[in-house]
Amino acid sequence: MKQLTTQRCLLASALLALSTGTQANTFTWASSTDPQTTDPHAVNAAPVLSFLNNVYEGLVRRGRDMSIEPSLATSWSPIEGKNGWRFELREGVTFQDGAAFNAEDVLFSYERASSEASDVRSWFSPVTSVEVVDDYTVDFVTKDPNPLFPDSIANFMIMDKDWTESNDAALPARDAENFATAHSNGTGPFQLKSRDPGVKTVLVPHEGWWDTVEHNLSEAQFVPIGNAATSVAALLSGEIDFVSPIPLQDAKQVESRPDFKVLEGEETRVIMFGFPHEHEKLLDDSANPFTDVRVRQAAAHAINIDAINRVVMRGKVKPASQLVPAGISGFSDANSGRPEYNPDTARALLADAGYPDGFSFSLKCTNDRYINDEALCRAAASMFAAVGMDAQLTTVPVRNYWKELRADDFDMYLLGWSPGTFDAEHPIRFLLHTQDNEKKLGSWNFGNYSNARVDELLPQIQREIDPSARQGMIDEVVKQTQQDVAYIPLYTQPLMWATKKNIDVTQRADNFFILKWVTVN
Amino acid sequence: MTYFIAKRLLQSVFVMLAVAFIAFSLFRFVGDPVSQMTGVETSLADQARLRAELGLDDPLLQQFYRFSNNLLQGEFGYSYRTRQPVGQMIVERIPATIELGVVALVISLLVGIPAGVYTALKPNSFFSQGLLLTTLVGVSVPTFVIGIMLIFLFGVQLGWLPTFGRGGTLNLGAWETSLLTVDGWKSLVLPALTLGVYQLTLTMRLVRAEMMEVMQSDYIRFATARGISYRRLHYRHGLSNTLVPVITIIGLQFGGVVAFSIVTESVFQWPGLGLLFLESIRFVDIPVMGVYLVLIALFFVVINLIVDLLYAVIDPRLRVQKAV
Amino acid sequence: MTNFWNSDSVWLFRHRPTAIIAAIVAVLIIGSAAAAPWIAIANPYDLSTFNLMDGLLPPLWQSGGQAQFVLGTDDQGRDMVSAILYGARLSLIIGLSAMAIAAVLGVGLGMSAGYFGGWLDTIVMRIADIQLALPAILTALLIDGIARGVLEQETHQSLRVVVLITAIALSLWVNFARTARASVLVERNKEYVQAAEMMGQHPVRIMSRHILPNILGPLLVIMTVDLASAILLEATLSFLGIGLPADSPSLGTLIRIGMQFLFSGEWWILWVPTLFLVMLVVAINLLGDFLREVFNPRLRR
Repeated sequence: MKQLTTQRCLLASALLALSTGTQANTFTWASSTDPQTTDPHAVNAAPVLSFLNNVYEGLVRRGRDMSIEPSLATSWSPIEGKNGWRFELREGVTFQDGAAFNAEDVLFSYERASSEASDVRSWFSPVTSVEVVDDYTVDFVTKDPNPLFPDSIANFMIMDKDWTESNDAALPARDAENFATAHSNGTGPFQLKSRDPGVKTVLVPHEGWWDTVEHNLSEAQFVPIGNAATSVAALLSGEIDFVSPIPLQDAKQVESRPDFKVLEGEETRVIMFGFPHEHEKLLDDSANPFTDVRVRQAAAHAINIDAINRVVMRGKVKPASQLVPAGISGFSDANSGRPEYNPDTARALLADAGYPDGFSFSLKCTNDRYINDEALCRAAASMFAAVGMDAQLTTVPVRNYWKELRADDFDMYLLGWSPGTFDAEHPIRFLLHTQDNEKKLGSWNFGNYSNARVDELLPQIQREIDPSARQGMIDEVVKQTQQDVAYIPLYTQPLMWATKKNIDVTQRADNFFILKWVTVN
Repeated sequence: MTYFIAKRLLQSVFVMLAVAFIAFSLFRFVGDPVSQMTGVETSLADQARLRAELGLDDPLLQQFYRFSNNLLQGEFGYSYRTRQPVGQMIVERIPATIELGVVALVISLLVGIPAGVYTALKPNSFFSQGLLLTTLVGVSVPTFVIGIMLIFLFGVQLGWLPTFGRGGTLNLGAWETSLLTVDGWKSLVLPALTLGVYQLTLTMRLVRAEMMEVMQSDYIRFATARGISYRRLHYRHGLSNTLVPVITIIGLQFGGVVAFSIVTESVFQWPGLGLLFLESIRFVDIPVMGVYLVLIALFFVVINLIVDLLYAVIDPRLRVQKAV
Repeated sequence: MTNFWNSDSVWLFRHRPTAIIAAIVAVLIIGSAAAAPWIAIANPYDLSTFNLMDGLLPPLWQSGGQAQFVLGTDDQGRDMVSAILYGARLSLIIGLSAMAIAAVLGVGLGMSAGYFGGWLDTIVMRIADIQLALPAILTALLIDGIARGVLEQETHQSLRVVVLITAIALSLWVNFARTARASVLVERNKEYVQAAEMMGQHPVRIMSRHILPNILGPLLVIMTVDLASAILLEATLSFLGIGLPADSPSLGTLIRIGMQFLFSGEWWILWVPTLFLVMLVVAINLLGDFLREVFNPRLRR
């Protein structure tokens, strides 16, 4: 184990214990995946970003309701005379090693995070340059007007220039380790005390944190537990205080015990089926029926979402009509109807399209990526079969899944999408725009749905400053793609957390676990 | 003898190279590490660049050559998942697995040998039959079900033992042990039982079978005729003669312990090599998988060598033909 | 007939109640599994025959149970009785085939290695080392991966069972090889083998005609033990995520799915297939014990 404790920290925490005299609250929480690294720019993955949000901070941050609020920047506004945003930085902020925070650190972090070695560089693709105006003012200059930019960098975490450079970690490590992989020095409310990857990571409060402390923890320990049944057992035995996620079907058991509670919420991830819009043939070499919109409509009408919700998802999900759920910016009720479940309509549509006896196709799903994904696909396959669409189900672990989808190895596939920017533009960019490697668009549009009008609207949506004009364009895209049945949106994935009854936590829709909102009663 | 050992060691190198090569040729089928290493927003061009940087586009033979060449120079590379040095990760995980395996083995011997003797001497007693049947049921339930049931019973319902992990550990130099703390022992009990039940049953049945056979042999009959006491007969003459085959088979089965530890460690979140391997498969962490497999191959080769040497020492008749 | 009834092994069998019970259980399970298509009320492979709305029904005797689903239904509305019958059928097919392949491969290689010795022995035993070093899960991944690479997606899907059988067989053959080799080492120095050699008989003939019948006993015992482990191994591989797809369930797949319902109150989804599996494996093992006794008269009392 790597002890990071410096004498200074020890002394500080000892002083704190003396001065406040409160009881020591050690909080232990578990999740299924260990953050791979403590480098905030090396991996753009939820377990890493979620964990590091407790240690590092960005210019802006998200509140309990996901709204954007000031963090290391106190305010931001469009730069006059140029495209881009000016950020006024907070004064008096110190990193956990005591160094002061200023504009140099922002510039350095931008350079690091947008370097080729970084996995988060896509956040900065609209940025042409970053200019330090003075010690506490920074300009992010963009190619076009970019109203969404501040919202899109909530997870862009600021590192200390001196600390990172003097520890030879000026670039994120890609295929080797560097100092920042297992050490950290942020401005956030907690700092790393020790880290034993895959076993246990210990955090303690950062005494010099600039914001008001709301938690009452003296230490927080994170343990990864991969097996879902084991993690529920660990909670029920009292060894851990909190676990996320728990299997939907275990919620009843946890709730039935007096000392525990379950927190249910809605994630922003929409689960959907995708089609091979562009394939000439199915995998079995027959003609591709899904190019006919009536067949895609039939598939949508074949799904009994209420039955799936009741049995497979234990009544915990909300049916979805669009690729983003309500509550995401850019969502509107204008297009919130979804195709009703009606096997007869489905059969009639299939007959119309020239498939009165149905056809056989291959349905590809993950079995370890989304909640109850395998059971969902089995249920869907049997619903498709009931209208004559004979689905041959293949379930694949996620480590093989994307590769096979990119190789067009599917006739219909399962996908879950969570808009990283919490805006409706995100799925248009990744799932609806025609595949275009050069412009880096449509990179997750595996079936290559392609509609010229959608492609035309995307850049306009990205540039548009006027909210109602923007909403109008988004609504047009949604309507168009619903008519085309580009995807069949199924439901919003639920969040299911479990904790001891005496602990208060805040569940945020991005499924991040934020320690500063934990109180032990 | 020296010639024999040298020859076997040379063969061992080939065995390990073969394992490494087979392992390498299959990694491409395990999955795509790059899609695991990057986020959803990472562009395809960036993914391709990372793939090239990691050398994943190179021909298989070239990748294998690079891997084995580095291995011979003691360079194990870096994990794709945690980006730590693979050597360090493996060294950190070894103690957990060895302690688990050894404790499981010790439990199985301490219980299995007396139980085997007892069931051989009193084959028709109710207790013997019960013991035989219970252990048989024990090995007929899949390991992962046993593990979860033990966790549920002793961890959740009774609250006696921890449900996961190693509990309190102490560092003895580089060796992180759970054998020196009460907490550590408590954490060890359930996984060791889960892992040991198969070995226990095997040991018991082997000892029983050998014992029954030996008790029927001529020299025991002579001994009975000479009026040697039963206790002395059973333990001194009977048991000691059964142990040679038992120990050799147990030795070989230790390999099985390592293989089975993958499941046990995953159920108990036991931070050993098995769990590391499983996590690495899930993440397509090629460097870790490669080194793990070569290490396991080394382990098997060494155990086989020891077993063969033991044979030669114990049973001189086998010395000539066994020396292959 | 009287002769058969009074023969040694049959006499022994009649006096071993455990063996009788085990045989009855094994025959019942194997028989019903073989007859699954005719006696099960639903075909769990046919997606259109079950209804999600029938999902999670408890067994008949619990409140809410329905007469048509005696042991309840799983999360897809699949009848548990039909599922375990078809599941046992698939598990047995996998187990028996894997065991048979392992036996032929292992005995062939092991006997040749023991008989001829020299470099052949070295190579076979070192291959055995390699095999032991690759955990079954990895062998399964390897075979599955190669099949994935070589075969078309559709073919690969329908060959999942073959892939699994090959993987299990490959991790079991070493046992046979070691036993066969050790037995041959002992047998080949005996007079009858040397006599056959002096008469100039072909080694293959000596091995198959003279040696094999003499080592059949221990091999048969290994076969039963390995049949049991093959069935369990299939379940374990399924747990680790490289088993069969959920819509063509083996007992192992059913247990894997059932594990999700451990804490949920729907105990039957896990425990029905688990109990069925345990009964099957225990019965096979008990029969193995009995065979051991038959082939080793010294163990009799």
